[in-house]
Amino acid sequence: MAPERSRAHTDEMAALYPFLYSETSDLDAVLEQVRRSTVDKANEIVELRDTVLERDGAKLAACAEEMAASFAAGGRLLAFGNGGSSTDAQDLASLFLSPAGAARPLPAFGLTNDIAVVTALSNDIGFDVVFARQIAAFGRAGDIAVGLSTSGNSANLLRAFDEAGRRGMVTVGIAGYDGGKMSELDSIEYLFVVPSPSVHRIQEAQTTVYHALWELTLAALEPVSEG
Amino acid sequence: MSGTHPGADPVGELFARRTDPVLDLAGQAEDVARACHAMAVRFHRGGKLVVFGNGGPSTDAQHVAVEFVHPVIVGKRALPAISLTADVATVTGVANREGLAEVFAHQLRFLADPVDIALGISSDGNCENVLRGLEVATELGLLTIALTGGDGGRIAGTPGLDHVLVARSADPRVVKEVHVTTYHVLWELVHVFFEQPGVLAPEVVA
Repeated sequence: MAPERSRAHTDEMAALYPFLYSETSDLDAVLEQVRRSTVDKANEIVELRDTVLERDGAKLAACAEEMAASFAAGGRLLAFGNGGSSTDAQDLASLFLSPAGAARPLPAFGLTNDIAVVTALSNDIGFDVVFARQIAAFGRAGDIAVGLSTSGNSANLLRAFDEAGRRGMVTVGIAGYDGGKMSELDSIEYLFVVPSPSVHRIQEAQTTVYHALWELTLAALEPVSEG
Repeated sequence: MSGTHPGADPVGELFARRTDPVLDLAGQAEDVARACHAMAVRFHRGGKLVVFGNGGPSTDAQHVAVEFVHPVIVGKRALPAISLTADVATVTGVANREGLAEVFAHQLRFLADPVDIALGISSDGNCENVLRGLEVATELGLLTIALTGGDGGRIAGTPGLDHVLVARSADPRVVKEVHVTTYHVLWELVHVFFEQPGVLAPEVVA
């Protein structure tokens, strides 16, 4: 997780909120700064999503086609990530498995859901293997592996993608910044990199990326399920 | 891009659907700022943040908790926060004995202190157990904040809640994305107030 923390962010905060370094305790002035900051962040994420669409719109459609083909052939989805990204992985898995409304449920596992397995592997072998070992146990050729990391550098994701690639799974990476070490892997077939210096904006756009993959995959599956 | 030829550019349409709801959040910036200040006051007094939701928002509850407990930005202090969705034994135990509607209310009664903050997340604003949780939190004296979507649902219509932020979209995926931006902003701006203790002093708060 260390690479995701940055001293630069602290300096950026200081520049954004100069009153923190003054003696003022004027509540109205602080509220006004905070209000403006909220507007700025909303505008930032709108711009960032435009960039993601421009860079990766076609790749999202292609990836969803392949995911739909995998599900149609009996494939399952395995999702994984650390920290905030673990909650995204669980959300993504549950979105496929237990969608609200009329959407078709599809088989998906969140690899951070089972604390017994995660802590057993971490304690007995090391945290770097927690996802790779689960993929080795569950993963079949034609399954889909989706890993999320803001830095792109999480060691346990890198090992998981290599294991998934060896097993012939469809591999999907969702990263941030410049893609980090995930962008150097040969084992990731579809890599989506959200180019932002803010870990928060990266996570927000990553959520859009996996929501898009879900919606487009279901749309691509419709003719299959009705045919 | 949207509306001209439905289905002609599904990816473009999908992205376009996100824009207005997040800009609408910017329109609620005053409410966001007030909620952040109120949260900072509670943390300053020793309160903790208690977060809950169902389905997708159950993962958001865990995301919010880790955001506060383990900040991604160096130099930000850890603040106490728990998700009521992580303890599967308790969630399934209460659901089995008393019903799903009580799973958050029960935990709040035994884990929360009056100085705490209750943050309930519901994509359509109609989750019975989130509403029950917020009602119990109100009775106990917690600061209550709700993140809802759609038209705000029953939660937005509930009297007595301190802060209700509504993500204006009928698409639960878009609502979730606005909620992620909202709680990221809440985290960051709580710290802005927290680092300026002058604005948290009783005479300023009152």
